[in-house]
Amino acid sequence: MSIEARRSAFAFHRRWRSFSWKTLLNVALLACGALIMVAPFAWIIQLAFTSNVSQVYEIPPRWFPTNPTLSNFADVFDQVPFDRFMWNSLKVAGSITMGQLVICSTGAFAFARLRFPGRDLLFILLLSGLMVPLQVTIVPLFILMRELDLYNTHWALILPPLANPFGVFLLRQYIMSVPKELDEAARIDGAGVFTIYWRIILPLIGPALVTLAILAFVFWWNDFFFPLIMINTPALQTLPVGLTLLRGHYDAGSLATVAAGITMAIVPVLIVFLLLQRNIIKSVATSGLKG
Amino acid sequence: MKGATALRNRWQISPKTSEAIAAYLFLLPTLVTFFLFVLGPMLAAVGLSFFDYNLLKWNSSPEFIGFDNYRQLAEDGRIVSIYQTTLKIAVAEVALTIGLGLLIAYLLEQKMPSLLRSLFRMTYFFPYVVSVSAVALIWSYLLHKDFGIVNYYLGLLGIERISWLRSSQWSWVSIVITESWKSLGFNVLVLLGGLQTIPAEFYEAAEVDGANGWGKFRHVTLPLLTPTLLFLLVIDSINAFQIFAQPYILTQGGPGDSSRTVVMYIYEHGFRFFNMGYASTIALSLFAIILVLTIFQFRLSRRWVFYQ
Repeated sequence: MSIEARRSAFAFHRRWRSFSWKTLLNVALLACGALIMVAPFAWIIQLAFTSNVSQVYEIPPRWFPTNPTLSNFADVFDQVPFDRFMWNSLKVAGSITMGQLVICSTGAFAFARLRFPGRDLLFILLLSGLMVPLQVTIVPLFILMRELDLYNTHWALILPPLANPFGVFLLRQYIMSVPKELDEAARIDGAGVFTIYWRIILPLIGPALVTLAILAFVFWWNDFFFPLIMINTPALQTLPVGLTLLRGHYDAGSLATVAAGITMAIVPVLIVFLLLQRNIIKSVATSGLKG
Repeated sequence: MKGATALRNRWQISPKTSEAIAAYLFLLPTLVTFFLFVLGPMLAAVGLSFFDYNLLKWNSSPEFIGFDNYRQLAEDGRIVSIYQTTLKIAVAEVALTIGLGLLIAYLLEQKMPSLLRSLFRMTYFFPYVVSVSAVALIWSYLLHKDFGIVNYYLGLLGIERISWLRSSQWSWVSIVITESWKSLGFNVLVLLGGLQTIPAEFYEAAEVDGANGWGKFRHVTLPLLTPTLLFLLVIDSINAFQIFAQPYILTQGGPGDSSRTVVMYIYEHGFRFFNMGYASTIALSLFAIILVLTIFQFRLSRRWVFYQ
Protein backbone atom coordinates (compact mmCIF):
# COMPACT_ATOMS: atom_id res chain seq x y z
CA MET A 1 0.00 0.00 0.00
CA SER A 2 1.40 3.38 -0.90
CA ILE A 3 1.73 6.05 1.72
CA GLU A 4 -1.06 8.05 0.07
CA ALA A 5 -3.47 5.13 0.19
CA ARG A 6 -2.60 4.39 3.78
CA ARG A 7 -3.11 7.98 4.71
CA SER A 8 -6.53 8.13 3.09
CA ALA A 9 -7.51 4.83 4.68
CA PHE A 10 -6.52 6.27 8.01
CA ALA A 11 -8.50 9.45 7.37
CA PHE A 12 -11.50 7.33 6.42
CA HIS A 13 -11.15 5.30 9.59
CA ARG A 14 -10.87 8.43 11.68
CA ARG A 15 -13.92 9.95 10.10
CA TRP A 16 -15.92 6.86 10.96
CA ARG A 17 -14.62 6.81 14.46
CA SER A 18 -15.76 10.37 14.93
CA PHE A 19 -19.24 9.41 13.76
CA SER A 20 -21.67 9.29 16.62
CA TRP A 21 -25.37 8.96 17.15
CA LYS A 22 -25.34 12.38 18.75
CA THR A 23 -24.03 13.98 15.56
CA LEU A 24 -26.67 12.15 13.56
CA LEU A 25 -29.41 13.40 15.87
CA ASN A 26 -28.12 16.99 15.62
CA VAL A 27 -28.01 16.82 11.85
CA ALA A 28 -31.48 15.27 11.70
CA LEU A 29 -32.92 18.05 13.87
CA LEU A 30 -31.24 20.74 11.78
CA ALA A 31 -32.45 19.06 8.60
CA CYS A 32 -36.05 19.16 9.85
CA GLY A 33 -35.70 22.88 10.47
CA ALA A 34 -34.00 23.41 7.12
CA LEU A 35 -36.90 21.64 5.43
CA ILE A 36 -39.28 24.22 6.93
CA MET A 37 -37.07 26.98 5.51
CA VAL A 38 -36.94 25.44 2.02
CA ALA A 39 -40.42 23.94 1.62
CA PRO A 40 -42.31 27.26 1.13
CA PHE A 41 -39.97 28.23 -1.73
CA ALA A 42 -40.13 24.77 -3.27
CA TRP A 43 -43.92 24.77 -3.15
CA ILE A 44 -44.30 28.22 -4.71
CA ILE A 45 -41.76 27.40 -7.45
CA GLN A 46 -43.50 24.19 -8.44
CA LEU A 47 -46.80 26.12 -8.52
CA ALA A 48 -45.27 28.50 -11.03
CA PHE A 49 -44.96 25.63 -13.48
CA THR A 50 -48.42 24.09 -13.06
CA SER A 51 -50.45 23.95 -16.24
CA ASN A 52 -53.82 23.09 -14.83
CA VAL A 53 -55.71 25.47 -12.57
CA SER A 54 -57.27 22.61 -10.65
CA GLN A 55 -53.82 21.36 -9.68
CA VAL A 56 -53.15 24.61 -7.87
CA TYR A 57 -55.78 24.01 -5.24
CA GLU A 58 -55.13 20.31 -4.97
CA ILE A 59 -55.11 18.58 -1.60
CA PRO A 60 -52.87 16.77 -0.76
CA PRO A 61 -50.41 19.32 -2.10
CA ARG A 62 -48.16 18.41 -4.98
CA TRP A 63 -44.43 18.84 -4.86
CA PHE A 64 -43.82 18.27 -8.56
CA PRO A 65 -46.08 19.59 -11.31
CA THR A 66 -47.36 17.17 -13.96
CA ASN A 67 -47.02 18.64 -17.48
CA PRO A 68 -44.91 21.63 -16.44
CA THR A 69 -45.52 24.77 -18.48
CA LEU A 70 -44.00 28.22 -18.84
CA SER A 71 -47.28 29.94 -19.66
CA ASN A 72 -47.67 31.34 -16.13
CA PHE A 73 -44.49 33.33 -16.66
CA ALA A 74 -45.90 34.79 -19.87
CA ASP A 75 -49.07 35.70 -17.96
CA VAL A 76 -46.99 37.71 -15.49
CA PHE A 77 -45.70 39.91 -18.31
CA ASP A 78 -49.22 40.27 -19.73
CA GLN A 79 -50.61 41.51 -16.44
CA VAL A 80 -47.87 43.78 -15.10
CA PRO A 81 -44.73 45.40 -16.54
CA PHE A 82 -42.53 42.90 -14.72
CA ASP A 83 -39.39 43.73 -16.68
CA ARG A 84 -39.92 47.39 -15.75
CA PHE A 85 -40.21 46.45 -12.04
CA MET A 86 -36.95 44.55 -12.30
CA TRP A 87 -35.19 47.41 -14.05
CA ASN A 88 -36.63 50.03 -11.65
CA SER A 89 -35.45 48.03 -8.63
CA LEU A 90 -32.01 47.62 -10.15
CA LYS A 91 -31.81 51.32 -11.00
CA VAL A 92 -33.04 52.55 -7.62
CA ALA A 93 -31.03 50.13 -5.44
CA GLY A 94 -27.97 50.58 -7.66
CA SER A 95 -28.13 54.39 -7.56
CA ILE A 96 -28.60 54.43 -3.79
CA THR A 97 -25.65 52.08 -3.36
CA MET A 98 -23.34 54.13 -5.59
CA GLY A 99 -24.45 57.38 -3.94
CA GLN A 100 -23.96 56.02 -0.43
CA LEU A 101 -20.47 54.76 -1.29
CA VAL A 102 -19.41 58.23 -2.43
CA ILE A 103 -21.17 60.22 0.29
CA CYS A 104 -20.35 57.94 3.23
CA SER A 105 -16.71 57.47 2.24
CA THR A 106 -16.01 61.19 1.83
CA GLY A 107 -17.80 62.00 5.09
CA ALA A 108 -16.08 59.16 6.94
CA PHE A 109 -12.69 60.29 5.61
CA ALA A 110 -13.22 63.81 6.94
CA PHE A 111 -14.29 62.54 10.38
CA ALA A 112 -11.47 60.01 10.60
CA ARG A 113 -8.53 61.94 9.16
CA LEU A 114 -9.06 65.71 9.00
CA ARG A 115 -9.03 68.28 11.79
CA PHE A 116 -11.66 70.99 11.75
CA PRO A 117 -13.67 73.00 14.25
CA GLY A 118 -16.88 71.29 15.39
CA ARG A 119 -15.78 67.80 14.39
CA ASP A 120 -16.88 65.97 17.52
CA LEU A 121 -20.12 67.88 17.80
CA LEU A 122 -21.06 67.16 14.18
CA PHE A 123 -20.16 63.50 14.61
CA ILE A 124 -22.36 63.12 17.69
CA LEU A 125 -25.19 64.88 15.87
CA LEU A 126 -24.79 62.46 12.98
CA LEU A 127 -24.81 59.47 15.33
CA SER A 128 -28.02 60.70 16.92
CA GLY A 129 -29.51 60.23 13.45
CA LEU A 130 -29.08 56.47 13.91
CA MET A 131 -32.04 56.54 16.26
CA VAL A 132 -34.42 58.36 13.95
CA PRO A 133 -36.81 55.80 12.48
CA LEU A 134 -38.14 56.04 8.93
CA GLN A 135 -41.73 55.97 10.17
CA VAL A 136 -41.21 59.36 11.81
CA THR A 137 -39.51 61.04 8.85
CA ILE A 138 -41.70 59.50 6.17
CA VAL A 139 -44.53 62.06 6.48
CA PRO A 140 -42.25 65.13 6.16
CA LEU A 141 -40.27 63.38 3.40
CA PHE A 142 -43.51 62.76 1.52
CA ILE A 143 -44.48 66.44 1.83
CA LEU A 144 -40.95 67.49 0.81
CA MET A 145 -41.01 65.32 -2.30
CA ARG A 146 -44.42 66.70 -3.26
CA GLU A 147 -43.18 70.27 -2.81
CA LEU A 148 -40.10 69.54 -4.93
CA ASP A 149 -42.33 67.96 -7.58
CA LEU A 150 -40.41 64.71 -7.18
CA TYR A 151 -43.34 62.65 -5.88
CA ASN A 152 -43.95 59.64 -8.12
CA THR A 153 -40.45 59.78 -9.61
CA HIS A 154 -37.45 57.61 -8.87
CA TRP A 155 -35.75 60.63 -7.28
CA ALA A 156 -38.18 60.30 -4.38
CA LEU A 157 -36.86 56.78 -3.80
CA ILE A 158 -33.17 57.49 -4.38
CA LEU A 159 -32.56 60.80 -2.58
CA PRO A 160 -33.70 60.20 1.03
CA PRO A 161 -31.68 56.97 1.53
CA LEU A 162 -28.49 58.79 0.50
CA ALA A 163 -28.28 60.02 4.07
CA ASN A 164 -26.88 57.03 5.94
CA PRO A 165 -25.30 57.86 9.34
CA PHE A 166 -24.65 54.15 9.93
CA GLY A 167 -22.61 53.96 6.71
CA VAL A 168 -20.50 56.98 7.72
CA PHE A 169 -19.93 55.43 11.14
CA LEU A 170 -18.99 52.02 9.67
CA LEU A 171 -16.46 53.48 7.22
CA ARG A 172 -15.03 55.90 9.78
CA GLN A 173 -14.26 53.05 12.17
CA TYR A 174 -12.56 51.18 9.35
CA ILE A 175 -10.51 54.18 8.21
CA MET A 176 -9.34 54.73 11.82
CA SER A 177 -7.75 51.26 11.67
CA VAL A 178 -5.63 52.24 8.62
CA PRO A 179 -2.14 53.28 9.87
CA LYS A 180 -1.85 57.07 9.88
CA GLU A 181 1.82 56.87 8.83
CA LEU A 182 0.61 56.06 5.32
CA ASP A 183 -1.10 59.45 4.88
CA GLU A 184 1.76 61.27 6.57
CA ALA A 185 4.27 59.70 4.22
CA ALA A 186 2.11 60.70 1.26
CA ARG A 187 1.73 64.21 2.65
CA ILE A 188 5.49 64.60 2.91
CA ASP A 189 5.69 63.52 -0.74
CA GLY A 190 3.42 66.47 -1.52
CA ALA A 191 0.07 64.66 -1.82
CA GLY A 192 -3.02 66.82 -1.23
CA VAL A 193 -6.06 65.83 0.78
CA PHE A 194 -7.95 64.50 -2.22
CA THR A 195 -5.00 62.39 -3.36
CA ILE A 196 -4.75 60.83 0.09
CA TYR A 197 -8.48 60.02 0.05
CA TRP A 198 -8.46 58.67 -3.50
CA ARG A 199 -5.09 56.93 -3.78
CA ILE A 200 -4.44 55.75 -0.23
CA ILE A 201 -7.58 55.46 1.90
CA LEU A 202 -10.10 54.20 -0.67
CA PRO A 203 -7.96 51.30 -1.92
CA LEU A 204 -7.31 50.21 1.66
CA ILE A 205 -10.91 50.16 2.87
CA GLY A 206 -12.21 47.85 0.12
CA PRO A 207 -13.74 45.27 2.50
CA ALA A 208 -15.71 47.96 4.37
CA LEU A 209 -16.95 49.42 1.08
CA VAL A 210 -18.11 45.95 0.01
CA THR A 211 -19.97 45.53 3.31
CA LEU A 212 -21.68 48.91 2.92
CA ALA A 213 -22.55 48.20 -0.73
CA ILE A 214 -24.09 44.82 0.10
CA LEU A 215 -26.12 46.20 3.01
CA ALA A 216 -27.39 49.16 1.01
CA PHE A 217 -28.25 47.12 -2.07
CA VAL A 218 -29.99 44.29 -0.21
CA PHE A 219 -31.96 46.68 1.99
CA TRP A 220 -33.20 49.00 -0.76
CA TRP A 221 -33.73 46.24 -3.33
CA ASN A 222 -36.14 44.67 -0.85
CA ASP A 223 -37.70 47.84 0.56
CA PHE A 224 -41.49 47.88 0.50
CA PHE A 225 -42.45 50.94 2.55
CA PHE A 226 -40.84 53.73 0.53
CA PRO A 227 -42.03 52.79 -2.98
CA LEU A 228 -45.51 52.04 -1.63
CA ILE A 229 -45.77 55.65 -0.47
CA MET A 230 -43.72 57.54 -3.05
CA ILE A 231 -44.80 55.82 -6.29
CA ASN A 232 -48.28 55.38 -7.70
CA THR A 233 -47.65 54.63 -11.39
CA PRO A 234 -47.22 50.88 -11.98
CA ALA A 235 -44.60 51.46 -14.70
CA LEU A 236 -42.40 53.27 -12.15
CA GLN A 237 -42.93 50.75 -9.38
CA THR A 238 -40.16 48.58 -7.94
CA LEU A 239 -40.30 44.81 -7.60
CA PRO A 240 -41.49 44.34 -3.98
CA VAL A 241 -44.60 46.49 -4.43
CA GLY A 242 -44.96 45.41 -8.07
CA LEU A 243 -45.30 41.78 -6.98
CA THR A 244 -48.34 42.60 -4.88
CA LEU A 245 -50.02 44.18 -7.92
CA LEU A 246 -50.11 40.70 -9.46
CA ARG A 247 -52.47 39.56 -6.76
CA GLY A 248 -55.04 42.02 -8.06
CA HIS A 249 -57.90 43.62 -6.20
CA TYR A 250 -59.53 41.38 -3.61
CA ASP A 251 -56.95 38.64 -4.31
CA ALA A 252 -58.55 38.01 -7.71
CA GLY A 253 -55.23 37.24 -9.41
CA SER A 254 -54.42 33.68 -10.40
CA LEU A 255 -52.33 31.87 -7.83
CA ALA A 256 -50.12 30.28 -10.49
CA THR A 257 -49.38 33.70 -12.00
CA VAL A 258 -48.46 35.17 -8.62
CA ALA A 259 -46.26 32.11 -8.01
CA ALA A 260 -44.51 32.70 -11.34
CA GLY A 261 -43.91 36.34 -10.38
CA ILE A 262 -42.51 35.38 -6.99
CA THR A 263 -40.28 32.77 -8.61
CA MET A 264 -38.87 35.32 -11.03
CA ALA A 265 -38.25 37.69 -8.13
CA ILE A 266 -36.54 35.06 -5.98
CA VAL A 267 -34.33 33.20 -8.45
CA PRO A 268 -31.97 36.13 -9.21
CA VAL A 269 -31.67 36.79 -5.47
CA LEU A 270 -30.86 33.11 -4.92
CA ILE A 271 -28.16 33.13 -7.61
CA VAL A 272 -26.53 36.30 -6.28
CA PHE A 273 -26.82 34.94 -2.75
CA LEU A 274 -25.08 31.68 -3.68
CA LEU A 275 -22.29 33.58 -5.42
CA LEU A 276 -21.71 36.14 -2.68
CA GLN A 277 -22.99 34.30 0.40
CA ARG A 278 -19.75 34.56 2.34
CA ASN A 279 -19.66 38.34 1.88
CA ILE A 280 -23.38 38.79 2.43
CA ILE A 281 -23.44 36.76 5.63
CA LYS A 282 -20.43 38.63 7.00
CA SER A 283 -21.92 42.03 6.08
CA VAL A 284 -25.30 41.40 7.63
CA ALA A 285 -23.67 40.06 10.79
CA THR A 286 -22.05 43.47 11.28
CA SER A 287 -25.35 45.32 11.23
CA GLY A 288 -28.76 45.18 12.69
CA LEU A 289 -30.50 46.32 9.55
CA LYS A 290 -33.64 44.51 8.68
CA GLY A 291 -34.50 43.74 5.04
CA MET B 1 -3.70 70.17 -5.50
CA LYS B 2 -1.57 72.81 -7.21
CA GLY B 3 -4.56 75.15 -7.23
CA ALA B 4 -4.92 74.91 -3.48
CA THR B 5 -1.26 75.71 -2.95
CA ALA B 6 -1.48 78.75 -5.21
CA LEU B 7 -4.62 79.86 -3.38
CA ARG B 8 -2.89 79.42 -0.06
CA ASN B 9 0.10 81.47 -1.19
CA ARG B 10 -1.99 84.32 -2.50
CA TRP B 11 -4.39 84.55 0.44
CA GLN B 12 -1.91 83.52 3.10
CA ILE B 13 -4.15 80.70 4.34
CA SER B 14 -2.52 78.60 7.00
CA PRO B 15 -2.30 74.81 6.44
CA LYS B 16 -4.71 74.38 9.35
CA THR B 17 -7.37 76.53 7.70
CA SER B 18 -6.92 74.85 4.36
CA GLU B 19 -7.35 71.44 6.01
CA ALA B 20 -10.57 72.66 7.63
CA ILE B 21 -11.84 73.96 4.28
CA ALA B 22 -11.05 70.61 2.65
CA ALA B 23 -12.80 68.83 5.53
CA TYR B 24 -16.00 70.84 5.09
CA LEU B 25 -15.93 70.17 1.35
CA PHE B 26 -15.59 66.44 2.01
CA LEU B 27 -18.39 66.63 4.57
CA LEU B 28 -20.73 68.66 2.40
CA PRO B 29 -22.61 65.72 0.79
CA THR B 30 -22.95 63.93 4.15
CA LEU B 31 -24.19 67.01 5.97
CA VAL B 32 -26.55 68.22 3.22
CA THR B 33 -28.25 64.82 2.88
CA PHE B 34 -28.33 64.40 6.66
CA PHE B 35 -29.99 67.75 7.33
CA LEU B 36 -32.34 67.45 4.36
CA PHE B 37 -33.48 63.84 4.80
CA VAL B 38 -32.94 62.92 8.48
CA LEU B 39 -32.63 65.82 10.91
CA GLY B 40 -34.89 68.25 9.03
CA PRO B 41 -37.74 65.74 8.61
CA MET B 42 -37.36 64.66 12.25
CA LEU B 43 -37.81 68.26 13.43
CA ALA B 44 -40.56 68.80 10.88
CA ALA B 45 -42.40 65.76 12.26
CA VAL B 46 -42.28 67.31 15.74
CA GLY B 47 -43.56 70.57 14.28
CA LEU B 48 -46.29 68.88 12.25
CA SER B 49 -47.63 67.20 15.37
CA PHE B 50 -48.87 70.63 16.47
CA PHE B 51 -50.68 71.30 13.21
CA ASP B 52 -53.79 70.18 11.45
CA TYR B 53 -52.61 69.52 7.93
CA ASN B 54 -54.86 67.48 5.68
CA LEU B 55 -53.72 67.16 2.08
CA LEU B 56 -57.15 66.03 0.94
CA LYS B 57 -58.84 69.26 1.96
CA TRP B 58 -59.28 71.74 -0.82
CA ASN B 59 -56.74 74.56 -0.55
CA SER B 60 -55.07 72.76 2.31
CA SER B 61 -52.60 74.63 4.46
CA PRO B 62 -51.26 73.76 7.91
CA GLU B 63 -53.28 75.15 10.77
CA PHE B 64 -51.76 75.46 14.25
CA ILE B 65 -53.85 73.55 16.79
CA GLY B 66 -51.53 73.27 19.81
CA PHE B 67 -51.77 69.95 21.60
CA ASP B 68 -54.99 68.83 19.90
CA ASN B 69 -53.26 65.97 18.07
CA TYR B 70 -51.87 64.67 21.35
CA ARG B 71 -55.28 65.01 22.94
CA GLN B 72 -56.75 63.06 20.03
CA LEU B 73 -54.09 60.38 20.55
CA ALA B 74 -54.94 60.09 24.23
CA GLU B 75 -58.63 59.72 23.42
CA ASP B 76 -58.17 57.50 20.37
CA GLY B 77 -60.17 54.35 21.09
CA ARG B 78 -58.17 52.25 18.63
CA ILE B 79 -54.65 53.21 19.61
CA VAL B 80 -54.54 51.20 22.85
CA SER B 81 -55.59 47.95 21.20
CA ILE B 82 -53.22 48.61 18.27
CA TYR B 83 -50.32 49.08 20.68
CA GLN B 84 -51.36 45.92 22.50
CA THR B 85 -51.37 43.96 19.25
CA THR B 86 -47.99 45.38 18.26
CA LEU B 87 -46.57 44.47 21.67
CA LYS B 88 -48.07 40.97 21.50
CA ILE B 89 -46.55 40.35 18.06
CA ALA B 90 -43.21 41.84 19.07
CA VAL B 91 -42.85 39.84 22.30
CA ALA B 92 -43.83 36.57 20.62
CA GLU B 93 -41.55 37.15 17.65
CA VAL B 94 -38.54 38.19 19.72
CA ALA B 95 -38.96 35.26 22.11
CA LEU B 96 -39.44 32.78 19.26
CA THR B 97 -36.54 33.96 17.10
CA ILE B 98 -34.09 34.24 20.01
CA GLY B 99 -35.14 30.88 21.47
CA LEU B 100 -35.09 28.96 18.21
CA GLY B 101 -32.04 30.90 17.04
CA LEU B 102 -30.16 29.81 20.15
CA LEU B 103 -31.15 26.18 19.65
CA ILE B 104 -30.15 26.16 15.96
CA ALA B 105 -26.89 28.03 16.54
CA TYR B 106 -26.00 25.62 19.35
CA LEU B 107 -26.71 22.57 17.18
CA LEU B 108 -24.70 24.11 14.34
CA GLU B 109 -21.70 24.49 16.63
CA GLN B 110 -21.62 20.77 17.39
CA LYS B 111 -19.36 18.38 15.54
CA MET B 112 -20.45 17.79 11.94
CA PRO B 113 -18.98 17.87 8.43
CA SER B 114 -18.16 21.50 7.65
CA LEU B 115 -19.86 21.36 4.24
CA LEU B 116 -23.10 20.35 5.92
CA ARG B 117 -22.68 23.17 8.42
CA SER B 118 -22.29 25.89 5.79
CA LEU B 119 -25.19 24.42 3.82
CA PHE B 120 -27.45 24.64 6.89
CA ARG B 121 -26.25 28.13 7.67
CA MET B 122 -27.12 29.28 4.14
CA THR B 123 -30.51 27.58 4.21
CA TYR B 124 -31.56 29.19 7.47
CA PHE B 125 -30.29 32.58 6.38
CA PHE B 126 -31.70 32.76 2.86
CA PRO B 127 -35.26 33.98 3.72
CA TYR B 128 -33.66 37.00 5.38
CA VAL B 129 -32.42 38.38 2.06
CA VAL B 130 -35.70 37.73 0.21
CA SER B 131 -38.02 40.72 -0.05
CA VAL B 132 -40.66 40.92 2.63
CA SER B 133 -43.44 41.13 0.05
CA ALA B 134 -42.43 37.85 -1.63
CA VAL B 135 -42.32 36.20 1.81
CA ALA B 136 -45.70 37.61 2.81
CA LEU B 137 -47.28 36.56 -0.50
CA ILE B 138 -45.92 33.02 -0.20
CA TRP B 139 -47.23 32.67 3.34
CA SER B 140 -50.62 34.13 2.42
CA TYR B 141 -51.07 30.99 0.29
CA LEU B 142 -49.40 28.58 2.71
CA LEU B 143 -51.72 29.74 5.48
CA HIS B 144 -54.90 29.75 3.41
CA LYS B 145 -57.66 28.04 5.36
CA ASP B 146 -58.88 25.67 2.65
CA PHE B 147 -56.03 24.92 0.29
CA GLY B 148 -52.99 26.03 2.30
CA ILE B 149 -50.49 23.29 2.98
CA VAL B 150 -50.01 24.35 6.61
CA ASN B 151 -53.57 23.32 7.45
CA TYR B 152 -53.18 20.14 5.38
CA TYR B 153 -50.15 18.94 7.32
CA LEU B 154 -51.67 20.03 10.63
CA GLY B 155 -54.72 18.01 9.57
CA LEU B 156 -52.53 14.92 9.29
CA LEU B 157 -51.68 15.48 12.95
CA GLY B 158 -55.39 15.61 13.73
CA ILE B 159 -55.65 19.39 14.11
CA GLU B 160 -58.74 21.01 12.66
CA ARG B 161 -58.46 23.64 9.95
CA ILE B 162 -57.45 27.00 11.35
CA SER B 163 -58.57 30.24 9.78
CA TRP B 164 -55.10 31.76 10.03
CA LEU B 165 -55.74 35.00 8.19
CA ARG B 166 -59.43 35.68 8.67
CA SER B 167 -59.99 35.19 12.39
CA SER B 168 -59.04 37.70 15.06
CA GLN B 169 -57.81 34.84 17.25
CA TRP B 170 -55.14 33.71 14.77
CA SER B 171 -54.34 36.61 12.45
CA TRP B 172 -51.66 38.05 14.74
CA VAL B 173 -50.18 34.57 15.15
CA SER B 174 -49.78 34.39 11.35
CA ILE B 175 -47.77 37.60 11.44
CA VAL B 176 -45.56 36.15 14.20
CA ILE B 177 -44.99 32.94 12.23
CA THR B 178 -44.04 34.62 8.94
CA GLU B 179 -41.91 37.32 10.58
CA SER B 180 -40.07 34.75 12.68
CA TRP B 181 -39.56 32.47 9.69
CA LYS B 182 -38.02 35.34 7.75
CA SER B 183 -35.74 36.76 10.43
CA LEU B 184 -34.69 33.61 12.29
CA GLY B 185 -31.57 33.31 10.12
CA PHE B 186 -30.28 36.70 11.26
CA ASN B 187 -30.46 35.63 14.90
CA VAL B 188 -28.77 32.31 14.11
CA LEU B 189 -25.97 34.19 12.40
CA VAL B 190 -25.39 36.63 15.24
CA LEU B 191 -25.59 33.88 17.89
CA LEU B 192 -23.12 31.74 15.92
CA GLY B 193 -20.74 34.70 16.04
CA GLY B 194 -21.28 34.93 19.79
CA LEU B 195 -20.69 31.21 20.33
CA GLN B 196 -17.44 31.35 18.42
CA THR B 197 -16.01 33.97 20.78
CA ILE B 198 -16.29 31.61 23.78
CA PRO B 199 -12.78 30.22 24.47
CA ALA B 200 -12.49 26.42 24.35
CA GLU B 201 -10.62 26.44 27.68
CA PHE B 202 -13.83 27.36 29.48
CA TYR B 203 -15.49 24.17 28.26
CA GLU B 204 -12.41 22.13 29.13
CA ALA B 205 -12.39 23.58 32.62
CA ALA B 206 -16.08 22.76 33.03
CA GLU B 207 -15.42 19.18 31.86
CA VAL B 208 -12.67 18.81 34.43
CA ASP B 209 -15.20 19.93 37.04
CA GLY B 210 -17.47 17.14 35.84
CA ALA B 211 -20.07 19.18 33.93
CA ASN B 212 -22.22 17.29 31.43
CA GLY B 213 -23.70 18.70 28.19
CA TRP B 214 -26.53 20.61 29.86
CA GLY B 215 -24.28 21.82 32.66
CA LYS B 216 -21.78 23.22 30.18
CA PHE B 217 -24.57 24.98 28.28
CA ARG B 218 -26.17 26.36 31.42
CA HIS B 219 -23.02 27.49 33.21
CA VAL B 220 -20.59 28.32 30.39
CA THR B 221 -22.39 28.96 27.10
CA LEU B 222 -25.39 30.88 28.38
CA PRO B 223 -23.60 33.35 30.70
CA LEU B 224 -20.93 34.11 28.11
CA LEU B 225 -23.58 34.58 25.45
CA THR B 226 -25.56 37.20 27.41
CA PRO B 227 -23.94 40.23 25.67
CA THR B 228 -24.96 38.76 22.29
CA LEU B 229 -28.45 38.04 23.63
CA LEU B 230 -28.78 41.65 24.81
CA PHE B 231 -27.74 42.92 21.37
CA LEU B 232 -30.36 40.70 19.71
CA LEU B 233 -33.04 41.61 22.24
CA VAL B 234 -32.54 45.32 21.53
CA ILE B 235 -32.23 45.07 17.74
CA ASP B 236 -35.06 42.53 17.35
CA SER B 237 -37.39 44.55 19.56
CA ILE B 238 -36.75 47.75 17.62
CA ASN B 239 -37.42 45.93 14.36
CA ALA B 240 -40.45 44.08 15.69
CA PHE B 241 -42.11 47.32 16.79
CA GLN B 242 -41.80 48.58 13.22
CA ILE B 243 -43.48 45.66 11.44
CA PHE B 244 -45.54 46.87 8.51
CA ALA B 245 -45.35 44.92 5.26
CA GLN B 246 -46.30 41.49 6.60
CA PRO B 247 -49.66 42.49 8.11
CA TYR B 248 -50.26 44.93 5.22
CA ILE B 249 -50.03 42.07 2.70
CA LEU B 250 -51.19 39.09 4.77
CA THR B 251 -54.19 40.38 6.69
CA GLN B 252 -54.56 44.10 5.92
CA GLY B 253 -54.53 44.52 9.68
CA GLY B 254 -57.78 42.66 10.12
CA PRO B 255 -60.14 41.29 10.92
CA GLY B 256 -61.00 44.54 12.68
CA ASP B 257 -57.75 45.72 14.22
CA SER B 258 -56.71 42.27 15.39
CA SER B 259 -53.42 42.26 13.48
CA ARG B 260 -52.95 45.99 12.93
CA THR B 261 -49.53 47.31 13.95
CA VAL B 262 -48.70 50.89 14.90
CA VAL B 263 -46.85 51.50 11.62
CA MET B 264 -49.94 50.33 9.70
CA TYR B 265 -51.96 52.84 11.70
CA ILE B 266 -49.45 55.60 10.84
CA TYR B 267 -49.76 54.58 7.19
CA GLU B 268 -53.55 54.64 7.41
CA HIS B 269 -53.69 58.16 8.84
CA GLY B 270 -50.82 59.50 6.76
CA PHE B 271 -51.40 57.98 3.37
CA ARG B 272 -55.06 56.94 3.28
CA PHE B 273 -56.64 59.88 5.11
CA PHE B 274 -53.67 62.23 4.51
CA ASN B 275 -53.82 63.55 8.06
CA MET B 276 -50.19 64.62 8.13
CA GLY B 277 -50.32 66.14 11.61
CA TYR B 278 -51.97 63.22 13.33
CA ALA B 279 -49.82 60.65 11.49
CA SER B 280 -46.71 62.45 12.75
CA THR B 281 -48.08 62.43 16.29
CA ILE B 282 -48.61 58.65 16.22
CA ALA B 283 -45.14 58.16 14.72
CA LEU B 284 -43.56 60.23 17.48
CA SER B 285 -45.40 58.25 20.12
CA LEU B 286 -43.95 55.05 18.60
CA PHE B 287 -40.49 56.59 18.56
CA ALA B 288 -40.80 57.59 22.21
CA ILE B 289 -41.99 54.14 23.24
CA ILE B 290 -39.18 52.38 21.36
CA LEU B 291 -36.67 54.76 22.95
CA VAL B 292 -38.01 54.16 26.48
CA LEU B 293 -38.11 50.40 25.87
CA THR B 294 -34.50 50.36 24.66
CA ILE B 295 -33.28 52.39 27.65
CA PHE B 296 -35.24 50.08 29.93
CA GLN B 297 -33.67 47.00 28.33
CA PHE B 298 -30.19 48.42 28.84
CA ARG B 299 -30.95 49.31 32.46
CA LEU B 300 -32.32 45.89 33.20
CA SER B 301 -29.39 44.26 31.43
CA ARG B 302 -27.08 45.13 34.33
CA ARG B 303 -28.84 42.39 36.27
CA TRP B 304 -28.40 39.58 33.77
CA VAL B 305 -25.69 40.42 31.24
CA PHE B 306 -22.30 39.02 32.08
CA TYR B 307 -19.19 40.62 30.58
CA GLN B 308 -15.93 38.65 30.51
